[in-house]
Amino acid sequence: MAQKLKIENNIRKLRFFADEMTQQTLAEKAGVSRQTIIAMEAGKYSPSLELAFRVARVFGVSLGEVFTCEGEEPAD
Amino acid sequence: MSYQENKTITSIVSGIILMSVYAINAWGKFQAGAAPAEAGQIWAALMLKFIALGIGVSIALQILFHILYSVVVAAREKMRDENCGDEVIEKTIKQEMVEDERDKLIELKSLRAGFVLAGIGFVTALIYLALGYPVAVMLNILFFSFFAGSILEGAVQLFYYRRGV
Repeated sequence: MAQKLKIENNIRKLRFFADEMTQQTLAEKAGVSRQTIIAMEAGKYSPSLELAFRVARVFGVSLGEVFTCEGEEPAD
Repeated sequence: MSYQENKTITSIVSGIILMSVYAINAWGKFQAGAAPAEAGQIWAALMLKFIALGIGVSIALQILFHILYSVVVAAREKMRDENCGDEVIEKTIKQEMVEDERDKLIELKSLRAGFVLAGIGFVTALIYLALGYPVAVMLNILFFSFFAGSILEGAVQLFYYRRGV
């Protein structure tokens, strides 16, 4: 069986650069609960591709800038 | 603690209460000789009564929980900002109660755990029946395994909410 990949994210950093956007605001814009954003930020939940794109769209960046695989550099 | 976690705890508590009330009731009837182990019809009627009662109690508790949760959220918002209007409170309540893909995934995973336990209970009940035990034993194992399955479902849900999916 393939080894499970560890997905990391830059949501906290992106929120900071988006005028310290609150988790609640991000949750509203992405159409999920605040708890899901908290879980995603903490690496406790890997979102679906659709939600991942929605989060990236909120920040106006590419998917690779939000989510990376362990040991991978974020895309510019 | 999130809305979903509180909701799950409410359903676990209602499940435990119902299971306990049924156990006390059934044991009392059995001891008094009102429900002999061979009288499958009496046991089936008792279980049907408790299934109906369970549905009613669950609905009532969920409604009560929703009301209480809304009151708590409204009070919290008022404490945060005394001048906040009803619209803000309503919006906050709606946001707290949002059900998204993570909730659905957790629900599916916990449902599977609940079904596994109920399935084990079903097989155990059949084994007991095949071994010649009275039908009441089989029915009670079945009934308790379904109850236990729903409680396990809640517990697994809480586990995934805490640990992450």
